[in-house]
Amino acid sequence: MPKYIVKMQSIEKAFGGNKVLHGVDFCLQKGSVHALLGENGTGKTTLMNILGGVVPCDKGEIYINGRKAVINSPSDAEEYNIAFIHQEIMLVNDLRIYENLFLGNELKHGVTINKKAMINKAKNILNNMGIDLDPTALTSTLTTSYKQIVEIASALLKKAKIIIMDEPTASLNPTEIERIFMIMETLQTKGVSFVFISHKLNEVLRICDHFTVMRDGKVVISDRLTSDIDEHQLASYMVGAELSFYSAYSPRTVGNKILETRNLSYKKDFANINITLHKSEIIGVTGLLGDGRSELFSTIYGCNSEYEGEIIVNGQKENITSTVIAKNLGISYLPNNRKEKGIIKDLSISKNMSISILDKLKRLLIIDRKAELFSNQDFIRKLNIKLHNLNNSILSLSGGNQQKVILAKTLSSKPNILILDNPTQGVDIAAKFEIYNIIVKLAESGVGIVILSNEPQEILSLCDRIYVMYQGKIRKEFNRDEASQKKIMIIATGGAL
Amino acid sequence: MLMKNILNKDNLKDFANQNSAFIAFMGLFMLAVITCGTTFLNIGNLMNILRNNSIIGIVSLGMTLVIINGSIDLSVGSQLALTALIALSIINSTQSIILGIILSLISAVVFGFITGWLVAKFNVPAFIVTLGTMTIYRSLSQYFFDGGGLLVSGKSAKAFISISNMNLFGVIPLPIIFWLILAFIISFFMSNTPTGRYIYAVGSNEKATRLSGININRVKVYTFIISGIFVSIAGIVEASRLGSINSASSGISYEMDAITSVVIGGTSMSGGRGKIIGTVFGTLTLGVINNMMNLFGVPPFLVGAVKGVIIIFAVLFQKRLNIKEND
Repeated sequence: MPKYIVKMQSIEKAFGGNKVLHGVDFCLQKGSVHALLGENGTGKTTLMNILGGVVPCDKGEIYINGRKAVINSPSDAEEYNIAFIHQEIMLVNDLRIYENLFLGNELKHGVTINKKAMINKAKNILNNMGIDLDPTALTSTLTTSYKQIVEIASALLKKAKIIIMDEPTASLNPTEIERIFMIMETLQTKGVSFVFISHKLNEVLRICDHFTVMRDGKVVISDRLTSDIDEHQLASYMVGAELSFYSAYSPRTVGNKILETRNLSYKKDFANINITLHKSEIIGVTGLLGDGRSELFSTIYGCNSEYEGEIIVNGQKENITSTVIAKNLGISYLPNNRKEKGIIKDLSISKNMSISILDKLKRLLIIDRKAELFSNQDFIRKLNIKLHNLNNSILSLSGGNQQKVILAKTLSSKPNILILDNPTQGVDIAAKFEIYNIIVKLAESGVGIVILSNEPQEILSLCDRIYVMYQGKIRKEFNRDEASQKKIMIIATGGAL
Repeated sequence: MLMKNILNKDNLKDFANQNSAFIAFMGLFMLAVITCGTTFLNIGNLMNILRNNSIIGIVSLGMTLVIINGSIDLSVGSQLALTALIALSIINSTQSIILGIILSLISAVVFGFITGWLVAKFNVPAFIVTLGTMTIYRSLSQYFFDGGGLLVSGKSAKAFISISNMNLFGVIPLPIIFWLILAFIISFFMSNTPTGRYIYAVGSNEKATRLSGININRVKVYTFIISGIFVSIAGIVEASRLGSINSASSGISYEMDAITSVVIGGTSMSGGRGKIIGTVFGTLTLGVINNMMNLFGVPPFLVGAVKGVIIIFAVLFQKRLNIKEND
């Protein structure tokens, strides 16, 4: 009997010219819950995608139960009893639980569907998991945690012995998380092994018995998770002992308070938020998925008119119920999902860039093309946007240049409060630093800037003050000199300093 | 360098995409010339095609805006009947053509506002809202005019009728001129005014447009108001052309013809993309098809089937272009 149910050896993988895995070894013990840790972009998801058959590896070998395995597709992975549960729930809401469980593999009497057999089998599986759930209930009536459970049941139905979970708890509340953990423990005693990808270190300590930390496509450490290892230690493995990163920061004198919120709340998204922003100041807001920061600042930009509490702009209480009002108050917002909320795909580069200021570019009722061109070219120069023709589709640009075009649009209304949600999304290192420099220059010219980011490094290299959010609340405010990546990560994961 | 730019794949694709309606129309036109010869290709017949389609042509212009905006308007046919009946009854009772036209336009603005407001404010799909208003307008027309028609009468009747029955330079019927002038104006509006651009932007990505600090509800309301005005103008042209409007049958299935024109014209049903000039050629294509079938003696009951086939092919063609673009 081999010790490891999964052994991955010297795995290498490159996307295009970009090498993301540099000879990674990974072993999973039978019946264990193994945490796979690392910051964004360290290659942990790619590694698991290789195990799950989502992408093939370039080099390296995989052994399952001691025998060499060839996994080229998700159905190959299924043959080896591997199941991958993704972060997004992949159930059809309008079907019943058992219908989802058997989707694509329905049990049949000849040509007709054998409902009874499917319901019974579903009941068995759920009972084995220790879950009291009616398999005929509609999936849409379930909460997220139960949907997650149905996904696990679906994996078990396919006889999964190895279950990979990619941030399964990201959108769950503590009781729901505990429910998932209990099921994992039950299954563990039945010989199922788990790979648990998560950013929440307190959960890792709660459920996992082994851990592997990855950084820059390499394994930093892989060991048993003994009781003497704490969140601090895990966090320092993740960021590395010595932090060397580019810092665009330079001290500035900040001016008057230009934005303030008092007990700002909106539905379940965030509650009792009190923040301030001054002229020429850069503040950072960070946290994990589901911390509510994007919802908070889209509310300040007028996206959710039914908020409670107060928003004070330039000393005056304002009722910001639409994006138009926000824009007129000098607030500008760069959305976090470029494809979905940023680019207008059917419009040209030029039209995307000037859409926010058409009312300023018009003479009588007509758009002044010369003024538009002048404004476009000004931004192309300032932001160093690389393009062939302004009239081409925005989709013809690379991700980094698309992001700069959206940034140009955001800056075009000459805001004095600038909210940048994940400003360097999908942007390469060079463009990232260019964007950092632009942000610093804007702050020097008097703009108050809010940066929302899930990369503590980004926040640390730019911000004067940092708010860390956790589940819709501000958990801690740091001054620049007292913050560190490790501290931010501990607070963001729900731990205590 | 220049040549390379012109011949680059994107530009060729854009050309095919933007001019598919013109290319299709020219092909069909040639086919008609070859098969029907001078029965098709003479000034009388050509003017007939243009005049017969100018009313649908005008309605289609407004429909183009609505579809580019990512909506649809099923109520244009019954709205045309109702606003034209309003114009006729005012003209008959006051003998003022101007007053009739103005009140018809005002009612169109009100109807457009109501539709746009329901769609924008309450986020009800335009398909549902206009399905409702379609039945409401038709029912109101029939209620107020007892299901019958209204003839223009009195001393202004002759002047009113002459609006659509006069020819410019003795050859070009005025409705054609109205159609082309309106096409020119709205085309200019779409490419040169902020509102025109917002209409495209909202149809392409509503969220991103809203986050750019634009009042998207206002854009949607404007779109329906403009479309309403076009419908009202088309109604007046029709009333003048025929001298009467029937509350039960006027404007029936105009929404389908208008949508067909827009789709053949290359406007994307999912919004964000399309050209007014494409819709003009779309209407003309439909007109030439009708005319050809007429000249060939195709039974009138089969005309619908042929139109149906054409609309499906137009959409398939567009889909192919879109798939290529997304690659």
